[in-house]
Amino acid sequence: MSLAASSPVAARALDRAFAALADPGRRTMIERLSLGPANVKSLAGLAGMRLPSALKHLHVLEEGGIVVSQKAGRTRTYTMAPGAFDAIGAWVRQREALMNAAFDRLEALIDAVEGTAEGSTP
Amino acid sequence: MSAADIHHATFVIERQLRIAPIRAFRFWADRDLKERWTACHPDWRVLEATFDFRAGGSEAKRWRTPDGREQTFTAHYLDIAEPDRIVYAFEMSFGGERVSASLATVALRPAEGQTRMTYTEQIAYFGSREALDARIAGTGEGFERLVEVVAAA
Repeated sequence: MSLAASSPVAARALDRAFAALADPGRRTMIERLSLGPANVKSLAGLAGMRLPSALKHLHVLEEGGIVVSQKAGRTRTYTMAPGAFDAIGAWVRQREALMNAAFDRLEALIDAVEGTAEGSTP
Repeated sequence: MSAADIHHATFVIERQLRIAPIRAFRFWADRDLKERWTACHPDWRVLEATFDFRAGGSEAKRWRTPDGREQTFTAHYLDIAEPDRIVYAFEMSFGGERVSASLATVALRPAEGQTRMTYTEQIAYFGSREALDARIAGTGEGFERLVEVVAAA
């Protein structure tokens, strides 16, 4: 999924992603679902919620386009919606990448200013 | 901008620096040394640069990007304990709009004559779509990394 955050649709998706992330219980569910599909009962258990409450939170995540669900028989299984967090995730990753690049320059500068390490070989 | 549009994230970067903390500390504390590893945009014109490295002091940078917009970085040093710890709060803005506010903690721990440097940044992000567009190039690659970041928050 491309990062088309400039379109109104992508803007709304980003707003929903922000809202979905604002709750610790939902973050626990997202964390679990990033590993693979799970049913309501196991997600409720992980998030320390009763079933009705878990369903409500999962509904928010589904409405927000963060997760998708499928019903097979009496079991509803939830799965992450691919690319749900691209915009925010990309911003944080870029911020981290910039700091990593700065620290690469720091290490190079230490080599330049301090000379090579005593007793060590490259 | 409503409270619902604030997103929090934390990331941690660890580096092994091959000099002792007392020497590593200088690279954060000395204006010229710090400038040499933090300057990264040769095409940005520097409009303002101040550096007052002490608890209660601030560091401010203001640039004009090639497309004519202003980018700012304003930091306030909250706590400095030489040579172990530097804590500062900072904001970043783009085109007159604040994008994020962060708390950064730099820990410099002795490790057999070297330094284990841990940089922790706790971010409150509230940038607009425009700011996001300006900072991000390329495509997302899924949510795995974000989940890690969120889990750490």
